[in-house]
Amino acid sequence: MRIGGVIRRAVLIVLGAIWLVPVYLLLVNAFRPGADYTGDHVWTPSATFGLFDNFAKAWDNADLGPSIGSTVLYSVVSPAVGVVVGALAAYAIVVLRLRHGFAWFLAVYGGTIFPTQMLLIPLFLGYSDTNLYDNRFGMVLIYTTISVPLAAFVMRNFFTGVAYEVFEAARIDGASVFTAFWRIYLPLSVPALAAVFILDFTFVWNDLMFGLTLSQDQSVRPIQTALSALNSAYAGTSVPTVLAAGLIVSLPTVALFLATQRLFARGLTLGQY
Amino acid sequence: MTAVTDRSAPPGTSTTPGGAGRRIAARFAPYGFVAPGVLLTAVLLYLPFLYTLYIGFTNYDGLHPSQFVGVDNFVQFAKDPALLTSVRNTLLWVVGATVVPVVLGLLVAVLSHGLRHATWYRIPFLLPYALSGAGLAVIWGFILQHGGAANQVLTALHIPGGDTSFLQHGPANTIAMIIAITWQQLGVNALLFMVGLQSIPVSPLEAARLDGANAWQLFRNVTWPLLRPLTTVVVGLSLVASLKTFDIVWVTTQGGPGRSSETLAVTMYRDAFVTGDYGQGAAVAVALTVVTGLVSFVYLKRQLRTVT
Repeated sequence: MRIGGVIRRAVLIVLGAIWLVPVYLLLVNAFRPGADYTGDHVWTPSATFGLFDNFAKAWDNADLGPSIGSTVLYSVVSPAVGVVVGALAAYAIVVLRLRHGFAWFLAVYGGTIFPTQMLLIPLFLGYSDTNLYDNRFGMVLIYTTISVPLAAFVMRNFFTGVAYEVFEAARIDGASVFTAFWRIYLPLSVPALAAVFILDFTFVWNDLMFGLTLSQDQSVRPIQTALSALNSAYAGTSVPTVLAAGLIVSLPTVALFLATQRLFARGLTLGQY
Repeated sequence: MTAVTDRSAPPGTSTTPGGAGRRIAARFAPYGFVAPGVLLTAVLLYLPFLYTLYIGFTNYDGLHPSQFVGVDNFVQFAKDPALLTSVRNTLLWVVGATVVPVVLGLLVAVLSHGLRHATWYRIPFLLPYALSGAGLAVIWGFILQHGGAANQVLTALHIPGGDTSFLQHGPANTIAMIIAITWQQLGVNALLFMVGLQSIPVSPLEAARLDGANAWQLFRNVTWPLLRPLTTVVVGLSLVASLKTFDIVWVTTQGGPGRSSETLAVTMYRDAFVTGDYGQGAAVAVALTVVTGLVSFVYLKRQLRTVT
């Protein structure tokens, strides 16, 4: 077993080192001052530190600033609202024992089983007709809706595990149906809600397709769409600037994922099958 | 207190003044609670779904009144070379982006399982996972561009390929991007397998070891069968995700050059929003949905049969 352990470590270290190479290249060239970049010698670090300068350029050239503001709005508000809407539906189905509850559940949950490609054309046409196109509210609306099904699924499982006596006791004490939800069931389910919120936050933050289809203005379009535009042979944007933008755009979700790996893994296997 | 579980008479209602009002409220409350979720999904998910289904059979272009054209848009799959390339590329994605990351992910999970400081060994693989498709494309587009980091290192090491343009020709550009996805996806697969390995009971492993099984036999005959349900999930997730590949292709090559790296999702977007041919775009979306459904169904059915 000793030798086996050494070999295992060796393989992991070699493979891990290979896996770090793209990260190295990203960092080295995002830190390189834009003026020093020639396309050669991308493997050697630059002596001068240019990251902040590169990021300032990305901020100006692609209007990353307003875009980041909007993306924070989308990726915080939409999952938060979506999770509550999903929880409300699960509460009605499980706790309030809605008639034909399972059919209602399938109706809400089934919304995510087909590819998003099926939504893009009608959403674009409908949004254009209703002034929701290129509108922050429109973006929040679709991201919220996308967040609802998974929340309903997870919360349905969670509420099933809560004893019905909790509800009865609350009602006897005079709590309304909504108060029981808001004051008792919602606080009880914070860990489950948080898991769903983190998954949805990552999804919205990383989304490119809805942003590309439903927005245009630099202050409305989400950050990945802005990055995509910056990357596509944008006149006057140096490679280090694009890489710096990519780096900063990626930091929130990468950090969040590393901090909550296990929750993430559980959420992934939960939601899809 | 078990008698009060009747929905129409929640506890306490009939004794309070104005009980009738509360009773009615309680009766309809469940519908009010489920309504926001149902409304949102109905209007923004199901309605668009049905509408796409419909315009897939029309020649709608947003300008002229649409006409019903039957299956004309679907016949294009047999006629249009760009669509055929798109189908081929999608198949490449499905096979490549499923098999390689799943096998390597399993390898990393098994190798690191039970090692001290296993978390640290896994960090390099987990770093790329939460990158967006656009972020991934920015990094790998930079590495793979002609004369870029990949070419430079091959030249320096005197390995053939120093002058190859990885992104200029199909299907090489698709394969290059599959490598990028492998780089991103390995970690999460390893993580999922890791969680699975930790839930495997120790006793069958101990028993097999006492019987003199070596490491490979242990894995082949004990660990692997016990991991089977999890493998189904991991492979299923990869299958469905790779069928819908869009972000990395769109940001790296926009499906080009000359539509050589398009996937079905990219073709759908291009037909609808670049060319303005909503009918054709919708038809591609419908085809993609049918294929995704079929693949999931066949795969799950086969897996469930072999497991039970």
